[in-house]
Amino acid sequence: MPLFDDARFLMDRRQLLGTAAAAGFAGSLPGMARAAASPSGLDTSNWTPEYIGGIAGTLDVDTTAECAKVVPLSTKGHLTYWYVGPNQASPDIDHKIDAEFWVAFAKTYPNITVERQNLDYNQMLNKVRTAALGNAAPMVAKFPILWGVEFAAKGQLSQLKPEDVGYPVDEFWPGALKSVMWKGKSYGVPTNNETMGLIWNAALFQAAGLDPEKPPATWDDLVVYSKQIKDKTGKNGYGMVARTNAGNTPFRFMPQLWAYGGEAFDEAEANPTYKTVNLNNSGSKAALQASYDMYVRDRSVPMSALTNTQNENQDPFISGQLGMMISHPLEYSVMLDRTAKATGDDKKIAEGVVANMRYGLVPKGPARRAVVFGGSNVHIFDPKVVDGKLDMEAARAFVAFSTGPEWSTKLAWTNSNPGNLRGFRTKWMKERLATIKFLNVTTSMLPSGIPFPVIPETSEVMNIIVPDMLQNVLTKKMTVSAAADDAAKKAKVLLSGL
Amino acid sequence: MSGTAAASRKRLVSREPGVLARMVRHRADYLYVAPALGVMLLVIGYPIYDTIYLSFFNTPPSLALEDKTFVGVDNYIRILTSDAFLEVTVNTLIWTAFSTFFAFVLGLGAALALDKQFVGRGLLRGILLIPYVISAVAAAYIWRWLYHTDFGVIGAIAVAAGLTDRPINFLDNTETSLGSLIVVNVWKEFSFAMIMMLAGLQTVPEQLHRAAQVDGAGVFQRFWHITMPHLKGVTLVTVLLLLVSNLNSFTIPWIMTAGGPAGSTDIWITAIYQLAFERIRFGISSAYSVIVFIVMMSMGYFYVRALTRRDGARYG
Repeated sequence: MPLFDDARFLMDRRQLLGTAAAAGFAGSLPGMARAAASPSGLDTSNWTPEYIGGIAGTLDVDTTAECAKVVPLSTKGHLTYWYVGPNQASPDIDHKIDAEFWVAFAKTYPNITVERQNLDYNQMLNKVRTAALGNAAPMVAKFPILWGVEFAAKGQLSQLKPEDVGYPVDEFWPGALKSVMWKGKSYGVPTNNETMGLIWNAALFQAAGLDPEKPPATWDDLVVYSKQIKDKTGKNGYGMVARTNAGNTPFRFMPQLWAYGGEAFDEAEANPTYKTVNLNNSGSKAALQASYDMYVRDRSVPMSALTNTQNENQDPFISGQLGMMISHPLEYSVMLDRTAKATGDDKKIAEGVVANMRYGLVPKGPARRAVVFGGSNVHIFDPKVVDGKLDMEAARAFVAFSTGPEWSTKLAWTNSNPGNLRGFRTKWMKERLATIKFLNVTTSMLPSGIPFPVIPETSEVMNIIVPDMLQNVLTKKMTVSAAADDAAKKAKVLLSGL
Repeated sequence: MSGTAAASRKRLVSREPGVLARMVRHRADYLYVAPALGVMLLVIGYPIYDTIYLSFFNTPPSLALEDKTFVGVDNYIRILTSDAFLEVTVNTLIWTAFSTFFAFVLGLGAALALDKQFVGRGLLRGILLIPYVISAVAAAYIWRWLYHTDFGVIGAIAVAAGLTDRPINFLDNTETSLGSLIVVNVWKEFSFAMIMMLAGLQTVPEQLHRAAQVDGAGVFQRFWHITMPHLKGVTLVTVLLLLVSNLNSFTIPWIMTAGGPAGSTDIWITAIYQLAFERIRFGISSAYSVIVFIVMMSMGYFYVRALTRRDGARYG
């Protein structure tokens, strides 16, 4: 199935072929020379599905030996750890791996006891905030990528960089490392990273007169495709999500905004300062205009987009009522699960959709191809806010163990990717690629990943200001220009500390 | 004679025990209520104090709470002079007034109907109570799907019945979203008004109705001149409780629209929640809370005063 045969992508690959590695994983080209020089042994400039498949299974890892170099295996200690682990909705394999992880840690560091709390994602942030305010924080916590900076800014985290636990910074994505920085200092180590891809229903494409194997190459194309699907089939083209106070909204709109050259601040730049507001630049306005065109002009997206989260796109997609959406590789498993639960005619439809489900790269824009760089980081809290006395050696041992290539791969099994880049070369990555369909596609979006701004105000900007801006346009409460200016004004006030 | 009476009154007055003496006499009563009072001071008094205290500080998310900066009444000025506050206040007033009015009128109508003896009365009363006992969270989710712009049952029925060409946009339209939420709220609350008014109707003496009927009074005259005056007290209580409840609404608007689209369903409590827990602005959200608290206390004052007057009238 040729997933990447669009002209633009081929052009990129040709450029890469000309300057770096040959297709897949060739051993002696300049790309490999760079790879050899890199501690991770990877050439992230040649990050294609073929390359990812080629490197998987080429590295043997001895986690115990690596950890022993950081903290002696005989170290005695005690650790408190909070994280979002598997829950009742998680697949069995997640529970199995989580259990195996704790057994393996206990075997590696038999004299370190761990008091762990597996928390609900939606409750964890407020719980940790309250605990830190009351000097009752855990010693170590694993947070989604956006959360850490708030605690770092408040002085509630200990400084922590990959080298502190034995790993060179080159072993992590630059975007992931940005997310642990606050005022030039590092406060965590990336554990896992993921990006989304574009998912489409090839049968609906065909019914609309589109090439079923060719996704929209650009966001402008996506607007056209969405309209064509609506016009020809009556089904919604693109699963726009524009609910306010929902993380799903920025994860889908910001890639579009970045692609057109927009930014919230300057987060898409190599060295962002987050001091300038670009929500009302021409790129941001172009992205808003494209959304307006789909929602208001063409009515080619769900009219319920203003109250929808990604969950509300899943049923329409599996019932063949939606052409395209942006989501995780996990979405394929979700669709399989829904198909298994469907009955009668619904089951037949669902099976047809799953058979016609395709994953591709999120479209490009005039400025770039972009996707939100997601994932999690592990942090050590500052001794003054920790409940009891911080056991730094136990904390370092734990961070080293969990962020190494082995466990950063295994713990991200179903829905993410190893934060430690060496994880991509392990046999476990090879096994994942073999068993999780489309994983190679979303993984190949990682180099296009842009982390959300690493400032404490980000959640307000992404969850409130940006969705409000979008809603003001889609409800015609404001013009594109006025909505962008209004959002920029709010962001500036926010940056001023008010 | 008058001098003797005055002296007698004075003696009676002087025999009245002082405040301290009365407190000593009721010391056991004070002991009994002390635990409850202590808990109230702890869980209500201290948070109120702390909220008022915090409302005078700027607490940006980039600062730890102990690094907050004193800004005096600046938070209050910023809230009261902002366009957003005006918009949210208008939404809150519309939400409260319409929800209260329609919940009360529907509740009264249902109570009047259920006050009659007819077959299936018990069953109907049970059915009408269902919205009241359903969890607000569950109700909000159910209604969100009923209203859903693309796949909602209501929209589908409207299209099937030929009422509209395409599904009605209830929640994703700034012009219809608040009204749609009010309908849900009224559906959820009218049962409460019904129960209250039904209880009130039990106190209306039947003989008055019979006497009025003998005198030739019609149904409307009997309702207006006999039933309503007897329901005055319970009406006051019901309306005030509905008002306070609606001013405090959170679950339905938050779950169904989260204040959107474009702020069209944002009301005071959702705005406070957003400020405090989505934007991590404890200072300004505290000021917002204080403003709403003052409004609530005013409502409470009138509520207690109305109740006291009624009790005074009863026992006086």
